[in-house]
Amino acid sequence: MKKITGIHALSMGLAMSLAASAAIPAPAATDKLTVVVTDEPKSLDPCDTDLSGNSRILHNNITEALVNLSPKDGSVVPSLATSWRQVDNLTWEFKLREGVTFHDGKAFDTNAVIAALKRAQDPALGCEVGVATLKGLKLNAEAVNPTTLLIKTDVVEPILPNKMSALDIGSPATPGDTKTRTPAGTGPYKLVAWTPGQSVGLVAYEGYWGDKPAIPNATIIWRAESAVRAAMVDTGEAQIAYEIAPQDGTTGQDHAFPNAETSLLRIDAQIAPLNDKRVREALNLAIDRDGLIGTIFHKDAQKAMQVVPPSVFGFNPDIPVWTYDPEKAKSLLAAAKADGVPVDKEIVIYGRIGIYPNSSESLEAIQAMLADAGFNARLEMLETSPWLKRLLKPWSKDRQPSILQTQIDNAEGDAVFTLPNRFTTDGNQSTITDAGLDKLIADGSKATGDERKKLFQQAFKYIAVDTVNIAPLFHMVTIARVAKNVNYTPDVQAGNEIKLKSISYR
Amino acid sequence: MSFTYFLKRAAFAALALAALMTSAFFLVRLTGDPVNLYLPVDASDAAREAMRIRLGLDRSLPAQFFDWAWDILSLDFGMSLWHNRPAMDVVLEALPNTLALGAIALALAFTAAIVMGSIAAVNAGGWIDRGVNVLSQAAASVPDFWLGLMGVLLFAVTFRILPTSGFGGPIYWVLPVACLFARPFGTLVQIVRGSMIEALNATFVRTARAKGARDGRVTFVHALRNALLPAVTVTGDLAAQFAGGGGVVEVVFGFPGIGKLLIDGILKRDFAIVQASIFAVAVVIFVINILVDMLYASIDPRVRVE
Repeated sequence: MKKITGIHALSMGLAMSLAASAAIPAPAATDKLTVVVTDEPKSLDPCDTDLSGNSRILHNNITEALVNLSPKDGSVVPSLATSWRQVDNLTWEFKLREGVTFHDGKAFDTNAVIAALKRAQDPALGCEVGVATLKGLKLNAEAVNPTTLLIKTDVVEPILPNKMSALDIGSPATPGDTKTRTPAGTGPYKLVAWTPGQSVGLVAYEGYWGDKPAIPNATIIWRAESAVRAAMVDTGEAQIAYEIAPQDGTTGQDHAFPNAETSLLRIDAQIAPLNDKRVREALNLAIDRDGLIGTIFHKDAQKAMQVVPPSVFGFNPDIPVWTYDPEKAKSLLAAAKADGVPVDKEIVIYGRIGIYPNSSESLEAIQAMLADAGFNARLEMLETSPWLKRLLKPWSKDRQPSILQTQIDNAEGDAVFTLPNRFTTDGNQSTITDAGLDKLIADGSKATGDERKKLFQQAFKYIAVDTVNIAPLFHMVTIARVAKNVNYTPDVQAGNEIKLKSISYR
Repeated sequence: MSFTYFLKRAAFAALALAALMTSAFFLVRLTGDPVNLYLPVDASDAAREAMRIRLGLDRSLPAQFFDWAWDILSLDFGMSLWHNRPAMDVVLEALPNTLALGAIALALAFTAAIVMGSIAAVNAGGWIDRGVNVLSQAAASVPDFWLGLMGVLLFAVTFRILPTSGFGGPIYWVLPVACLFARPFGTLVQIVRGSMIEALNATFVRTARAKGARDGRVTFVHALRNALLPAVTVTGDLAAQFAGGGGVVEVVFGFPGIGKLLIDGILKRDFAIVQASIFAVAVVIFVINILVDMLYASIDPRVRVE
């Protein structure tokens, strides 16, 4: 047998490398687009679009809702419904778009909406939309004719159209007794395949009622590592990559966009020493928000003064942002201590690993800031399941004083999607028991127009200034890396929606 | 290996498997309630309770255990909460990928380690030996995730000769295999080198040399055959570890294997996936151990597997 010499080995290696390079996927042709996200969707059922991982693939790509919310101002705009009006306090009328068909050939009409609504509210199915957005609301839909639908509510629901923007309508052939993995919608793309663990493939739907998408084939894949996601755009394996960590997202192709999320620390104001308002004020004054921004948090994040961003109806622009004043924090703590408040007691900071990029680092810095101001704070980073146990009631009465790292999303554009669960006595995440605030939130939820805005603004002020129940941090941004030859500008809804039909090649 | 021996081993394996699965059942439930993870945080208490009832989590732990154990006897591992499919179906899709990945990495590591370890042993104390030592110790100590990310940066982003990640043709396997190759290669080189040095100084090697056997034959036939036993033992252990998947490597490269599935299953409190994965991996480890025993006996006829 002929011996393999060093030269032979080298040339074989080179040949293998060349063969390998030939096998690398070339930058995608302009009829294809690959988008990389962090996680595989949990389901592709149209009634599960309250989960952003599912919504990003389904919403306005495969399935559509009666209405959409404008990314500019949160106003309700037509989609499968062309118009709507409130007939009386408990009844809304929707006029449906004509000539729309589902991907499986079935016609879109009032019966399809009735079936989707029934399905979403079926407790046996446990649909995300039913248990979250439509929670506590009994909706009864009636067909006047194939394109006119009446939806009756059991309580006054002034923002029913906003809520209907979350209900994606699947084909009437969608099974009623189980979740589907093969949804058929009315959207610009239809599902080709979901290869578990690997990808979801979409192809443009020829019979789409609206403008045809520029790119006929789209693939959505998932990679857990930010650095890998970013690299995939560089190599042409993907054209758009979401949720790039700030340290990986420093090129001209990285676009930071507000994602409707507000990061904050929820203070458990029921347990000493945090039951003393001076201690809670000191906690806010001890955090150097300017020092965190542009370092641990992205430079485009905005300092927050309440739990919703300015795009949300009810945002109060008159609440001041906390200044950084460690000396004042120390004197407040000293005053509290003089009155017998146990300010030296250990306070636990509960963090959640990966809730946003650099979540651990941010709390390490905040822990040091709190220590500088005289707090005895211990950091405990938790993964999601134990963190949820700290977030959601019921809690032990003997629990330690704590502050909890959280992030509140409000892409729906109205304060009612944020306030009740988090700040009312009955709220499953609320550390406040305050009848006045309960009434303010309940009245605001039923009101409309300026009255609604005024009541919600009062509620936000009460939480942030009067009770100091939170340490607001930042209105957050997400970074997306976009290939140079692709036209795509992520908007505030991009955290929950990949608007494939708006994407094109240059 | 006699049939009786196999039956004995199988009986012990079944007992061990029963104990393992029982522990898995209780331990995975100690890590927390999946309901909070699966419902939006705004879901009502009533919705949470309804889901608990639907999943049977409202019942007492012993009741849940007996029902579960009964189902396991018919190899029914239940539905995956995350995938909404039978858990064993999901596991059986992922397992072959991991086994192939591990087998390739380990076979390459074993072969390369024998060659490099033997060369180092023959040149013990020399510069080749020192070089192999440094290389193997570095390979044995380098963290998987770092190696993975460096591989992506160098071979995918800079040289553009390999894909960053994913699953497909042979090209997609290069970086994951290279990452999984490093640690067993480093470990095995050290073992082969040590046992070869010992074997090369043994009396039977001196005898062989005295009889006029050539150096190559002495090294690769007489000495190596004896030096292989510890390497085979360690490779068996490494293979058992690999059966559980190179979790970090699979996550970094988005490789749809059992390691990634298990990590995701734990993080998502997908009890059925965790239990089915553990069961499948345990069975594979049992098979690997039997194979290692057989290999051991064939390398060293003095060893009798009874």
